Amino acid sequence: MSPQPSDDQSHAAVCLARPAGTGPLIALAGNPNVGKSTLFNALTGLGVSTAHYPGTTREVQFAQTVLDTRTFTVADLPGSYTLGAVPEESWVARRALLDLSPDAVIVVIDASTVARNLSLVFEVIECGSPVVVAVNLVDEAARAGIHVDTDALSQSLGVPVVQTVATQGRGLDELVSIALTVAGGRGAPAPRYDADLENAIQPVAEAAARISQRPYGLSPRALALHMLSHDEDYRALLDDSEDAAALLSAVESSAAQLHRKDGWPTSVVLVHARRSLAQTMARSAVTWAGKRRKFDLWALTTSPFTGVPLLLAVLAGIFGFLFIVGNLLATAFSSFWTADVSPWIQFAVHALAGNGALSRTLLWGFDAGIEASLSIGLPYILTFYVLLGTLEDSGYLNSVAFLADRTMHHMGLHGRAIVPIVAAAGCNVPAVLAVRSLPDKRQRLIASTLVAMVPCSARTAVVMGSVGHYIGWLPALGVFAIVFTLWALTGVALEHLLPGEPEGLVMEMFPFRRPSLGGILRKAWNQFKEFLFVATPIVIVGSLVLGGLYESGLLWKLSAPLEPVIGGLLGLPAVAGLTLLIGTLRKELALQLLVTMAVVAVGTHASDLTSFMTPVNLFVYALVNTIAVPCVSTIAVLSREHGVKITTAIVAFTVVVGLGVGGLFAHLLPLLGIR
Amino acid sequence: MASATLEEYLEAIYKLAERGPVRPTQLAEALGVSGPTVTATLKRMKAQGLITRPQNGVELTTEGHAGAIDIIRRHRLAERFLVDTLGLPWEDVHEEACVLEHALSMRVQAALERFLDNPTSCPHGHPIPSMDGTVAAPTGDALSLHVAGDELEIVRVEEEDEGLLSYLASLGMYPGTAVKVCDTAPFQGPLMIQVGDAKYALGRAVCEKVAVIPRTHQRRRRGQ
Repeated sequence: MSPQPSDDQSHAAVCLARPAGTGPLIALAGNPNVGKSTLFNALTGLGVSTAHYPGTTREVQFAQTVLDTRTFTVADLPGSYTLGAVPEESWVARRALLDLSPDAVIVVIDASTVARNLSLVFEVIECGSPVVVAVNLVDEAARAGIHVDTDALSQSLGVPVVQTVATQGRGLDELVSIALTVAGGRGAPAPRYDADLENAIQPVAEAAARISQRPYGLSPRALALHMLSHDEDYRALLDDSEDAAALLSAVESSAAQLHRKDGWPTSVVLVHARRSLAQTMARSAVTWAGKRRKFDLWALTTSPFTGVPLLLAVLAGIFGFLFIVGNLLATAFSSFWTADVSPWIQFAVHALAGNGALSRTLLWGFDAGIEASLSIGLPYILTFYVLLGTLEDSGYLNSVAFLADRTMHHMGLHGRAIVPIVAAAGCNVPAVLAVRSLPDKRQRLIASTLVAMVPCSARTAVVMGSVGHYIGWLPALGVFAIVFTLWALTGVALEHLLPGEPEGLVMEMFPFRRPSLGGILRKAWNQFKEFLFVATPIVIVGSLVLGGLYESGLLWKLSAPLEPVIGGLLGLPAVAGLTLLIGTLRKELALQLLVTMAVVAVGTHASDLTSFMTPVNLFVYALVNTIAVPCVSTIAVLSREHGVKITTAIVAFTVVVGLGVGGLFAHLLPLLGIR
Repeated sequence: MASATLEEYLEAIYKLAERGPVRPTQLAEALGVSGPTVTATLKRMKAQGLITRPQNGVELTTEGHAGAIDIIRRHRLAERFLVDTLGLPWEDVHEEACVLEHALSMRVQAALERFLDNPTSCPHGHPIPSMDGTVAAPTGDALSLHVAGDELEIVRVEEEDEGLLSYLASLGMYPGTAVKVCDTAPFQGPLMIQVGDAKYALGRAVCEKVAVIPRTHQRRRRGQ
């Protein structure tokens, strides 16, 4: 999640390279949800950069940090259960581990589920780098009566083991100083499995030893194990020498031998052997004081009878919070800006650029523009990130995904997508950013398009302030009904039109975890900073352009070519075209400016909109403003997430649909006798 | 009898029919061909008396059924041979067997059966029909048919999906694993499955590919 555009997709590396001259490289690996990212955030501060392999969405994060006087780099690999070829996160973790060949690897495991986590530790040890194991979340484990004997575990694994509580920073200094001590040394001996498997591995390892140029400098045993898991990736790395052919035939004969015994493919035999060994090790290192909870309250979040009402309540809570609290904060911020900041900016601009059209244009950008960015950023985006972080860290997002999966499937989405879509009703910008948590590109694209079509609180305010205020609540409801219908149709259409299909869901469900406020705030602030750095410059530039057009009077001239669309198609007064355009800066401006500019253009009696717009005009105006073009900030984050091409397509789509539907109702309603 | 294409169709119809009434769209999806192609081929099959088309669905006639059993027998024997004798990996042999199956005459089938020591099931755990066309009932049913509270044991994972097989294994779900259904999400949503101390949400499409049997306490569980 880097603010630097240089890490954009266009610069994706085919093979990740170690950052040069920044001290030892320490990689972080671990299963999902073991607190690995918390540990990464606790170890590092500013200056996080990301990289990913082309065609994949799982990122590797890099950050430089210092302990005492030693500078080193930390690489955070995607959370994965294995280092296999599927799913994507496992493949990325493995490739990154091999490509980077880190000086040490910290494998983070969950103290409550040591047995399940150890399989990955074995796989990482087999890759050859020195390993340190961080037994994280020991506080949670202790609450459940689980104690991990780190000495015993260290003895059986043959690598150092440290207890940590990443959320409180406990054990991190010790962890890092041990990692730095072992860095660059030799890796630990690889774990040994049961005799039958070892007998099958041995001839393969012997054949592998005869290969002089083993890929990534893997040990013969490591190469043998990877070949035995029937990995196309590895076969592709071997040349067509006789030694490679001998290795392949050794693999085939060992695989057949294993299959005759168990009836399983070797990949499953290997997984099974690792899990058995992990269970044996865990049994001797983990003691359990037997505090079993009689009733698991958290199960209520996924049971259909309690889970669905709870989900609806949580979604209503997010919506209400962004809508009510966000609006209150936005109003408060706006009056603070007008009273305490804006005068200073005006003073500075007037001092620098005088009092003419230039200074007024600059004010559009540096006063109104910065205000637009901040008045979305602080009240909506920061608050939303805090809400989202709480849901994520407590494990509730997975419960949401479980319950909503089937419904969202109709639109080609994963159950998780319901959270950004509901949040979009508050503000589209954080919703577009939250779409990132979806597992693949297709889903992110569908979800972003749908998010941009959800009326945010500003667009809702325009509908209520025009149609609701001047005509009545029923026609206002009509606007929302039309928008919702279009929205659902778009979702179903995208699901059918876009190539590919949603993956079958396989997702671990986690028990409740107490979120740490500090962690959530730090994460929210990091994400918010990104919005601030990416979106604000674009909003300022957009505002300057709009301001320039307005102050130079060009905007009024633009209204002439717009006339066929605004007057002809939509049947609206010309001034409405301009305010719709300016509304892209901030959607609520579409109403505020309509009143102001109507007064300028038509006269003071126009402050009552009904005196110069018919009810049909207002209805069409609100409809077009709601559907066509998200605001500048949304466009900014869309192009950050998806690139210019896709953003243009999404924006063009909303314009065509907005104008089409607006035109349809402008002509249809009078035919029905409504004026 | 039928051409290789028609044999593929018979096999696909038979497998789909095990799960419920068959629609042409499902066939198109299963075989990776277009809708019009399926319609044309089904017309040919109907003319040859292999299928009937009740209410636009597809049903095998007695002759079609016999043809299907025959091709499935050859497919599963071929898989057995590829795995047991040639040592190819279990998860790769489905496609290879699809090519081999069409070339096995009655004589070769009988010889293969003797050579393989009269196997009763394919490497994925599905029964091999006997020469006279009888099929042992496959053990187990789809995980997706189960409800909250059911205690089960995985007996096999469908052969078509190699990645899924390895991935589920890495999460601890392989044949012999004891699982329990904790919850089912509304509107035919995913199932929540308990495996050891972990819980996983599995989509319906995934659950349809996992065959399970009820767990009894006498059964000795492999891998536990």
